[in-house]
Amino acid sequence: MNDNPYQPVRCVVEDLIRESPTIATVRLKPDVPFPFQAGQFVMMTVPGVGEAPFTPSSSPSVRERLEVTVMRAGRVTARIHRLAPGDIVGIRGPYGKPYPLERFRDAHIFLVGGGVGLAPLRSLFLRLVETADAYQSITFCLGARTPQDIIYKDQVFRQWQQICEKVCLRITVDRKDDGWKYQEGVVTTTLDHIQVDAAHSVAVVCGPPVMMKFTTLKLLDIGFSPGNIYLSMERKMYCGVGQCRHCLIGTKCVCQDGPVFTFEELRDTRNPFI
Amino acid sequence: MAAISYTSGNNWEFFLSRKADAGAVYGAVDCGGKLVYERLTPSRVPSVVYTKARPVTPLKLFLFPFKESVLPAVSPTENAVVIGPASCDLAGLSILDRVFAGGEFKDPSYPERRARLTIVSVDCQQPYQTCFCESVGVRPYAERLFDVNLTALADGFLVEVGSEKGAQFLEGLQTEEAGGDRLAQRAALREKAARAVREINSQFDLADIPERIRGIEMAERWQTEDVSRCVQCGSCNFNCPTCVCFLLEDTGTPERFEKMRLWDACLFPGYARMAGGATPRRTLFERYAHRLLCKYSYMVDNFGTVGCTGCGRCIAGCIGRIDKRKVLSEVVVSRTPA
Repeated sequence: MNDNPYQPVRCVVEDLIRESPTIATVRLKPDVPFPFQAGQFVMMTVPGVGEAPFTPSSSPSVRERLEVTVMRAGRVTARIHRLAPGDIVGIRGPYGKPYPLERFRDAHIFLVGGGVGLAPLRSLFLRLVETADAYQSITFCLGARTPQDIIYKDQVFRQWQQICEKVCLRITVDRKDDGWKYQEGVVTTTLDHIQVDAAHSVAVVCGPPVMMKFTTLKLLDIGFSPGNIYLSMERKMYCGVGQCRHCLIGTKCVCQDGPVFTFEELRDTRNPFI
Repeated sequence: MAAISYTSGNNWEFFLSRKADAGAVYGAVDCGGKLVYERLTPSRVPSVVYTKARPVTPLKLFLFPFKESVLPAVSPTENAVVIGPASCDLAGLSILDRVFAGGEFKDPSYPERRARLTIVSVDCQQPYQTCFCESVGVRPYAERLFDVNLTALADGFLVEVGSEKGAQFLEGLQTEEAGGDRLAQRAALREKAARAVREINSQFDLADIPERIRGIEMAERWQTEDVSRCVQCGSCNFNCPTCVCFLLEDTGTPERFEKMRLWDACLFPGYARMAGGATPRRTLFERYAHRLLCKYSYMVDNFGTVGCTGCGRCIAGCIGRIDKRKVLSEVVVSRTPA
């Protein structure tokens, strides 16, 4: 047994799926099963290049494969976008706290995601659908800038449309094109004119900082309590195990105390959305 | 051997020469008026200084090297002895131990290196003008976390054993009963040093910093002439006995997973910058505030102890000649109600 926290599990890249011009999903086959819970993240290493944190976007019920959806933003992610089947990467973890599903029981669940922020929400969504009996309803509000920026297109437009009777999809883009038959507007507009039993609802939000900020404000307006709004926080991270102190938000360590926090936990923090 | 005993200067040097001949013994020696650690040869044993304040280098350098491979991990194999850390250095150990050996995840080399290091601390008798241990609840003499502690007297040392490791190290040292007079001398020297530190800091008001600094995160509040002299060199981070921040660098090839761990500094503009360029602390003032908030507030919450030991290295080593005590007095204490 190797107890070095920096030792990754070797994975073979099985596929690289182009989701949008800037986002790709890497399908990995780890050498050994890699269990995780929805919301936990992994540190993914491209050997010789670098390492970065990602929340898996695949269902936690699938142990033999793992998918990670990555937006091209810097040096490591650019290299990830050039991976090919057969390439070797490493993952270590899982780290952080999972979504607290026990607190979602019997609630109306709203998932609100934008852009690559759909990645952790897809993992959560698939898990929720598998155990849909435990929840009142699952509303998945998802958006992107343009129709071509929507990720997981095959699932969003086909598979998930009839996936479960408790599921309602609300799809929007900031700027539509000619063939678009869904809503136009930023993702917060999917929350306009909806009837919400706010006292028995939870919202899970992941997306760009500005989107999370305005979605949070909107949810508070609707009547969600700060403790029922779950937000994914992103910070520079090296160790993932609470030692390097790069990911501090005040006294909280995103890698250990997060990466998901309720707005209640963050409200006293200066500018959590960066 | 009693918990506190006396040994003559000659006995100690004879004993230490044999130790230095047999293994790795580091001692604080004078280098242009400052104390630096060097690996002792028997002939250098008489050069070790036991009366001044803390050495230039923080003790963490012996346990948490500036740059080290963590994958594959280094397995420390050498036992070492370090002579000369002061109480302010020992106070920093409680945070290092907590971060690298106290949680669910252990650093791959720290616990072993810590177990193999014997720490012989010395009472501080001549504090520097930058010292302020008394203001942060640390005394200028060690009360815990040492293996052996020395108090230099005119003709010898009072030797206090602090651990089993310390007792083993001292096997073979000729000692005699400490005696009431010498213990009284020690108490007087300690009180004198503590008084000296308090006098050095009489112009600063550093009361209740952890309570008062809480929530003072706004950059404007920290935008003072003193702070604006910061050149973001990271000297205060690297010299600090409790700064533990590090980064990881992948150094392998496409076939091999290898990682180096290097110290990092929260005052560096790129410290918290993410892919794409976003950073939670854009300005110098936000980064400076973060460093002090981490020391006096976040570490209190995270580790149950203030992350400042009053060693003053951040003041002594500052290129911008920023006196942190002045900044704390002005920005934190004078503008918050008691």
